Amino acid sequence: MSNLISYKDISISLSGRLILSIDQLAIPFRQCTLLTGRNGSGKTTLLKIMSGLLKPDSAHIAYQGLNLSWRQAKPYIQKDIIYLHQQPYLFDSTVFNNIAYGLYRNGENKTSVHKKVNQALEWANLSHLAHQPANSLSGGEKQRVALTRARILSQSLLLLDEPTASMDSESKQQTSLLLQRLNAEGLTIIISSHESHTVSHLIDRHLHLENGRMTEINNASQNNKVTPFKTTKNTLTNE
Amino acid sequence: MNDLNQATINAFQLLLSGNSGIWEIISLSFSVSLSAILIASPFALIIAFFLAFFQFPGRRILISVFNTFMSVPAVIIGLALYLLLSRSGPFGDLQLLFTSKAMIIGQILLSFPLLVAMAHASFQAADRRAWETAITLGAKPYRAFFTLAHEVRFGLIAAVVAGFGRVIAEIGCSMMVGGNILHATRNIPTAIALETSKGEFSHGIALGIVLLVLALGLNAGVSMVQGKGGLHS
Repeated sequence: MSNLISYKDISISLSGRLILSIDQLAIPFRQCTLLTGRNGSGKTTLLKIMSGLLKPDSAHIAYQGLNLSWRQAKPYIQKDIIYLHQQPYLFDSTVFNNIAYGLYRNGENKTSVHKKVNQALEWANLSHLAHQPANSLSGGEKQRVALTRARILSQSLLLLDEPTASMDSESKQQTSLLLQRLNAEGLTIIISSHESHTVSHLIDRHLHLENGRMTEINNASQNNKVTPFKTTKNTLTNE
Repeated sequence: MNDLNQATINAFQLLLSGNSGIWEIISLSFSVSLSAILIASPFALIIAFFLAFFQFPGRRILISVFNTFMSVPAVIIGLALYLLLSRSGPFGDLQLLFTSKAMIIGQILLSFPLLVAMAHASFQAADRRAWETAITLGAKPYRAFFTLAHEVRFGLIAAVVAGFGRVIAEIGCSMMVGGNILHATRNIPTAIALETSKGEFSHGIALGIVLLVLALGLNAGVSMVQGKGGLHS
């Protein structure tokens, strides 16, 4: 399977402590990857480096046939990868304006934005919340708005940091359903999560971070569930 | 006591009758102070943002400098500017001394540290996720800055209002570099000092009322803005 993007030699230290040291990480097209690891294992740091939000000490990126340094790749990956925080940040405006934000940044006109946002709201079953202040929503609703806001931009890779943390079971189910639909539409997804059971039905691959090193757990798509952690290899390629 | 009552009544009459001399002074005061704040604010907000969001050598020192300059008396800034703009000073050739432009420069210098310090506190308190979300949704850094500024707008408005409050009422710098020249550089604080020294209390009181009303309005405005910000946080 070909890769959407490959990262090489990712390393970052904070206050003299090595946080991440990953030899190679390839992200295949349209796969859904689960990223697990204990608190402080570097999951969020890795996702932020991957999305161009955090500068690593070193990292090389193979993307669209180009071999680039992280700095060179930053504009491309910021354009094509969306990172969603554990608790998604919604701007102090309406749900509609939040979803429209990225479209306006892409230079789309008002008519096109309105059409796309309304379609996206229907897709996520959020039309009834369109003109609600985003800050008044529940955690689950915020997550769904954030996912809709990401989907509307038609990016290639979605990085989710603990998307179902602190949610009630109904919200978890709805979020999980949206993720399933996003993946079915062709979006490549990486989910960092403690609660692997919530998203286990989505997972094609399972990566585990420990002491800044990454290992791949046996292929989840084969048995359609995430098995207990078992270190198999340290270098991750999927070519 | 009767004199004071009479002077106060005369002051209201002066204000309400549209006395051109009084309103000219009020107008000059507002035009100088608003110009200073409008020029200083964009630069101050950008510097405050950089201080809050980026690590670079000398950042902490710069923050300390701005915090220190917040409490420098207006008359010291006036003195320094006077020396720079006087004929024998390095910028004497510009012939700015005793003009409203010199007063604007003085008020920019006076308000700048306050604007930076207050805006820095607002940006510092901002949720970093707002910046990251804007960037990950495709915003260019300058656009993400405006998004972030919108998120912390209540704190930034409070900073601008506080900066305006500081310069509209300052006397030391305006007196030093403006010279209190009638029809040219006489503003509310310098006029109050002059009229009081001449015994023209009604003029002084009339202008004082304007400053008091302004101070009350600004404080009410800031309280409202900050209260509104609190609801959203």
